[in-house]
Amino acid sequence: MNDTPTDNSVSRRGFFQLTLGWLAAGFAASATAAGALRFLIPNVLFEPSEEFKAGKPDDYADGSVTFLEDERVFLVRKGNTFRCLSAVCTHLGCTVNRAEQGYHCPCHGSVFDDQGVVKGGPAPRGLEWFAVTLSKDNRIVVDKSQRVSAEKYLVL
Amino acid sequence: MNIPRPGQVWKWLLQTRVGRSIFRVGLPESNLERSQAMVSSFLLHVQPAKVHRHSLKASYSMGLGLISLYLLFILVGTGTLLMFYYVPSTDRAYNVMKDLQFVVSAGLVLRNMHRWAAHLMVFFVILHMCRVFYTGAYKSPREFNWVIGVMLFLVTLGLSFTGYLLPWDQLAFWAITVGTNIAAYAPLVGPKLQYLMLGGHTVGQEALTRFYALHVIVLPGITFFMVSVHLWRVRKDGGLSRPAEGGDSVQRIALDQLPTNKSYGLMELARGTTPQVGKNPEDEVFSWPHLIFREILLFLVVAVVLLVLAIFFNAPLEEYANPVHPPNPAKAPWYFLGLQELVSYSAFWGGVVVPGILVGVLMLLPYIDRKVHGVGRWFARERILANSIFTVCLIVAVVLTLIGSFFRGPNWSWQEPWKKPAAMTEGH
Repeated sequence: MNDTPTDNSVSRRGFFQLTLGWLAAGFAASATAAGALRFLIPNVLFEPSEEFKAGKPDDYADGSVTFLEDERVFLVRKGNTFRCLSAVCTHLGCTVNRAEQGYHCPCHGSVFDDQGVVKGGPAPRGLEWFAVTLSKDNRIVVDKSQRVSAEKYLVL
Repeated sequence: MNIPRPGQVWKWLLQTRVGRSIFRVGLPESNLERSQAMVSSFLLHVQPAKVHRHSLKASYSMGLGLISLYLLFILVGTGTLLMFYYVPSTDRAYNVMKDLQFVVSAGLVLRNMHRWAAHLMVFFVILHMCRVFYTGAYKSPREFNWVIGVMLFLVTLGLSFTGYLLPWDQLAFWAITVGTNIAAYAPLVGPKLQYLMLGGHTVGQEALTRFYALHVIVLPGITFFMVSVHLWRVRKDGGLSRPAEGGDSVQRIALDQLPTNKSYGLMELARGTTPQVGKNPEDEVFSWPHLIFREILLFLVVAVVLLVLAIFFNAPLEEYANPVHPPNPAKAPWYFLGLQELVSYSAFWGGVVVPGILVGVLMLLPYIDRKVHGVGRWFARERILANSIFTVCLIVAVVLTLIGSFFRGPNWSWQEPWKKPAAMTEGH
């Protein structure tokens, strides 16, 4: 190139060289960044299964609400119907406590009724209900990856 | 026996061949040597040889930025020592905390120093920001340095936040659970960001490993780089901000306007600070000893205060993390309690929108408020509007923090501290 310092025009060849150079540099930089980001997103999680067995139906008394500690859920039995309510507050993930009426979150004061519906506090949604089924060996099975409506029961 | 005084030993050392090779200038005795002492030393040359009297006034800067820097140094020192024992494992981290408390020599004091220095650093960085605002020091040419300062404030909070998880106690676990759930409310990327931060869906071993890496290398690295740029720019902008004076006007010389028949030194291309043509030399004093002495004195004060704090007050350590039951109330550290009070109204508005707007306005501030007057004086009358707005925001933040700290009891319900003082002990 024979550009003089005062000449600001770019020749055709110079233009292509510049474009190619910047494109190459930009591609290399974004590919590196994308690769590093992808590296940080795990492919395999060593977390407990979302689906778990919660014992025999007879383990739960009629009309009881049982807190299953390891799974952070409440198992609700009424007559011969079973439901499973999440104990994880929809606000910021604290564990709600069973109150006389409904559930209270200790972190930011959200209040839920027996159906998990928000009655007060900052929670944006009601507590989740999870699918409950019965296994062949007569055990209650809860699948926390399957959300169902509050009206859905396992009837024995 | 005649015991030599330290001064005599020092003088003798500087006369030896080895001494001269290490300290090239020696103890300066003339003004020339005072300049050389600063310029020829790697550790000192980041500072100017001469410094404006105004920059030395404790009533102006109050040394707040320097105190923050010293706390950072202490944090790096104590943090490095703690790393020799710490294991970022959910099974062992909590036991290491107990070992530091009861088994390791000076472990308790070092952990206490690290914790209190972290709290104080957040506090002093905020104070430093207030000082810079109330003196209008963010105005041209220091606009971008203010932006770097705001970023450093955020990184400081990030360092505190990541450090919080490491003891793996109840406070740690639930503070991080709440914090990462706030991140999940961010528009578009929220849940993915949370997944990336935690390396999974819940706070567990992966999250601890990630927060550890961020806390001990990523964020300190960013901090050191940005602090270097921050200080470098203070230096290049002619020291601390001060009221404009005659002969102080900055002239930038365009390269093509320089006559070509003369060779120039680099100093003449630099702007503002050198050479001191038309300035009153009596306004400037030599950094050695005036600046150096004040710096060392301030460091001693910071170190002593911190040591006393660390000896008399133990850093809190709650029970071993229980992923099932949050403590009630589950409170964040004090600098996040204002935010926690906000998210107790709405996670999205209080946790994402309001802080986002605040940070955005802070970053853009020097480009919004562009009038160059009232610089270099506290509470300048010309800046009454800007100062009033800032003060109102500051009061709101303080009130929210106080409410979160003292007026919130179990289930985050309203509780007056003088009625049930037991609730006060929960917050840290």
